[in-house]
Amino acid sequence: MKIIIAGDGEVGFYLAKLLVYEFQDITLIDTQQDKLDFADKNLGITTILGDSTSFKILKQAGIESANLLIAVTSVESTNITTCIIGKKLGAEFTIARIDNMEYLVDKNSLDLRDLGIDILISPESLATREVRYILKSPALIEIFSLYDRALYLMGLLLEEDAPIVNKTILETANQIPHNSFMIVAVHRNGSTLIPTGNLQLKKDDLIYFVSTDEGKNHVVEYAGKKSVQIKNILVVGGSRTGKNIALKLSRYYNIKLIDKDIEKCNYLAKTIPNVQIVCGDGTNIKVLEEEGLGNFDAIVSVTGNSETNIFTCLIAKEFGVRKAIAMVENIGLFDYSQKMGIDTLINKKMAAANFIFRYIIKGRVLTHLYGVDAKIQEFVINRNSKITQKPINELKFPEGAIISGVVRNGTGYITLGSFKLMPDDKVFVFSLPQSSSNVNSFFK
Amino acid sequence: MNLTQHSKYVTFKMLLRQIGSLQILLGFTMGLPLIVSLIYGEFYSALGFLTSSILCMVVGFSLYKGFQTSFEPLHRHALIIAALGWLSIAIVGSLPFIIIAYITPAEVARQYCQSGSDYVSSIYYFRNPLHAVFESMSGFTTTGLSMAVHEPSIGKGLLFYRSFTQLLGGAGFIVLSIAVLGQSNGRVALLLYGTESTGERLKPSIIETARSIWKIYLGIAFFSFIYLVIGTYLILPDYSLSENIFDSINHAMAGQSTGGFSTLDDSIAGYHSIEMDILYLLPMILGSLSLPFYFKVIHDKQINQFWKNLQTRSIFIACISGSIVLSLMLMKSGVIPEPFRIGIFQFVSALTTTGWQTSDVHIWDSASVVFIVMAAMIVGGAAGATVGGIKIIRVLLIFKGLFWHVNKYFSSENSIKVVRFNEKRLLPDEMNKELAAAATFSFIYLLFVLISALITYYFMGNNYSISDALFESASAQGTVGLSCGITNPGMSPVLEITYIIQMWTGRLEIIPVLVLFRTILFGTKPKIV
Repeated sequence: MKIIIAGDGEVGFYLAKLLVYEFQDITLIDTQQDKLDFADKNLGITTILGDSTSFKILKQAGIESANLLIAVTSVESTNITTCIIGKKLGAEFTIARIDNMEYLVDKNSLDLRDLGIDILISPESLATREVRYILKSPALIEIFSLYDRALYLMGLLLEEDAPIVNKTILETANQIPHNSFMIVAVHRNGSTLIPTGNLQLKKDDLIYFVSTDEGKNHVVEYAGKKSVQIKNILVVGGSRTGKNIALKLSRYYNIKLIDKDIEKCNYLAKTIPNVQIVCGDGTNIKVLEEEGLGNFDAIVSVTGNSETNIFTCLIAKEFGVRKAIAMVENIGLFDYSQKMGIDTLINKKMAAANFIFRYIIKGRVLTHLYGVDAKIQEFVINRNSKITQKPINELKFPEGAIISGVVRNGTGYITLGSFKLMPDDKVFVFSLPQSSSNVNSFFK
Repeated sequence: MNLTQHSKYVTFKMLLRQIGSLQILLGFTMGLPLIVSLIYGEFYSALGFLTSSILCMVVGFSLYKGFQTSFEPLHRHALIIAALGWLSIAIVGSLPFIIIAYITPAEVARQYCQSGSDYVSSIYYFRNPLHAVFESMSGFTTTGLSMAVHEPSIGKGLLFYRSFTQLLGGAGFIVLSIAVLGQSNGRVALLLYGTESTGERLKPSIIETARSIWKIYLGIAFFSFIYLVIGTYLILPDYSLSENIFDSINHAMAGQSTGGFSTLDDSIAGYHSIEMDILYLLPMILGSLSLPFYFKVIHDKQINQFWKNLQTRSIFIACISGSIVLSLMLMKSGVIPEPFRIGIFQFVSALTTTGWQTSDVHIWDSASVVFIVMAAMIVGGAAGATVGGIKIIRVLLIFKGLFWHVNKYFSSENSIKVVRFNEKRLLPDEMNKELAAAATFSFIYLLFVLISALITYYFMGNNYSISDALFESASAQGTVGLSCGITNPGMSPVLEITYIIQMWTGRLEIIPVLVLFRTILFGTKPKIV
């Protein structure tokens, strides 16, 4: 599969990195030589120096035979132009990163797909969506939907006082309401375990569940978390992400937004209804105290600076804010900040890259969890496959992998014990890297 | 000749030229009452209009041609032009009154009076030039206070002229000159347009804007006319049709401009019909709604503006609640029969600053008088309409600002406390600016009302109370035109001049007149301290 990525920015580079592991034929276009050199050295992919809106450059990248063109430069208009030109020059499928939400929402005026752009992605709105999901179920660390909300993948940190601590999964099986969720991976001390019935759950385990829509609340109950209702949110930083969060979430929550820049504050105050804008430094404790930091249920720190976000979230935790979400663009800080006690980290470029990733190919990695070695893959069962004849617990499924749910005719099912697969089912599989080839041959 | 003298001379020339062009226009408009006089066979009135019209045009053309200059008005000049222009129009517009009063023979004047009546035709009051200017100013500023004690006795020609001046003054004479003459360029037109209207631009060019304002204005006046003719015919089938049409034309013009001159001896009360009172509520309310609002409804087809437009909504609410309160107050005082009929009609008449009268306010209790002054006459209708008063939008803004100031104390120090007003989100700085402008204007306005009330108190005669003085003063300042009897041909000239100034300032929202006074006293040099 031939993929052209225009824009070697953070999203572009991260995407290239993910795709390289999948052995794709990747060409990267950018206007800065040093960035390209870095990508070349680290990833060993083809790079082309030049403007992606140029015919010559696109042809040089092999646009005629490209299966996919992804335009993720920081300039929206460049991305749109690149995709429109690329499509006409022969690219099969195009994806453009945009900033203007209008293009996503208002399809009556002009649907950009008519111009040849197949998918529009906006990192800001993806980040907002993640924040919205998390705030809806604040007990969770991560949650996203698989296959258009048929199933959900959720991550949750086990605390000492949870009733299931120090019990094996089998022992707790009676607490799982019939087939509403299942444990698919446990992350413990930096390594990932695929659960078997005898696995004992310990405190500080990061447990991943797959659940149906109804099962979401059962998961929270099962893990002994009280479901808290979030009402007041403090958003720190009025960047594009902050603005988008305030704009989208003000319907559901009372939001206060802090930014340092008075000009930006005035602009936001004028454009966003029902949100209290405050002009002040989000890292200044005096300012935060004045705003009544302790009264907030959640803090979402989305300034352009990862360190500031982490710091502000840590202060908020000290003040008793229950849920702290920080935007961290620097992936190197990911591990440490979570250890320090920040509940959830969001990362625009990972969100965008994952989003694109899910569109790329069937039977490949569906999503990528940071820090977790396991992959989620999707397989479609063949019509004449033998595995449809027995229930799951009688199949010889490879070790280090688990069937983690099925989508049949758009409805999600949890695959425990006696579940029987059927032809055309979409099967999700959580697997460790070493088992992945066995899994692939199992479904052949 | 040094430079400053030169520039003074040029400014002067420019001002006279602008005023000249307004006079030409005024001369032309006198053609219409001339035709009406001829239709009714009032040849002396026709002659009066002809002479005035010719005089007007001669003066106008000589000013316009005599002071050719390429100098264009600046911002401060626009205000001076507005103030001077309106004054000159009121003075020149009084010519027909004076001329007709002098040339109409006694036996002709007697024919104008109702048969069997024993009074002398009111036309002779206009032999006093001050009365004529008062009547003219009251007409052009759409006030409706009158020196004609018995209105019908001044002849159909003059009656029509009075209502017609209100129609002209309502949407603005300068706007009319922009619409018709179109000689000023964009920037100058915008400056002039801003002086007598809200300055809201409806179309990309000012000339187009002025034209659409006049189209809408005349369109609604025409609608009122049809409505009144049909309504009167249905309610009073015995009323002569020709009288009906004449009344309706005049009342439609006076109603749409919220002027309030009437062709009947006792204003709308002259019909002696409760149905007619109800019929006349609609033209008043139509006149008090802002013209840009009509533009949105008619041109942009935004019917939802009826409840979405803040001013329109507020006027409806104010009309309903205010008239109920006034009616209850009148009922409690028990001084007049039919308190609800009177209360509703008078409150609407006062709030819309129309001034059609169905009751003798002089006999009202003081509480009711003060209430109608405070809640209706001083408030006035919508900005962008033909009304006077502080304007409902400013009153709302000031109240909003009051709550905003109090609420601010509940927010944290660094909060940016935004105000939502009239579909706009205002930042604190913007709100403070708006608030300062509205509060300053309201304060000056109230000052004018109070000072004039004091002057009235000294010159009004013994049988009136202080609340009557306040009422009459607020009526003149707000270009309302309701009277409790202080305004009459026998009033003190000092008071008459006071009211003329009040009507003039009331129509132009005071500031242009203050600028003019400043120019006369200190010149146009900016003051540097």
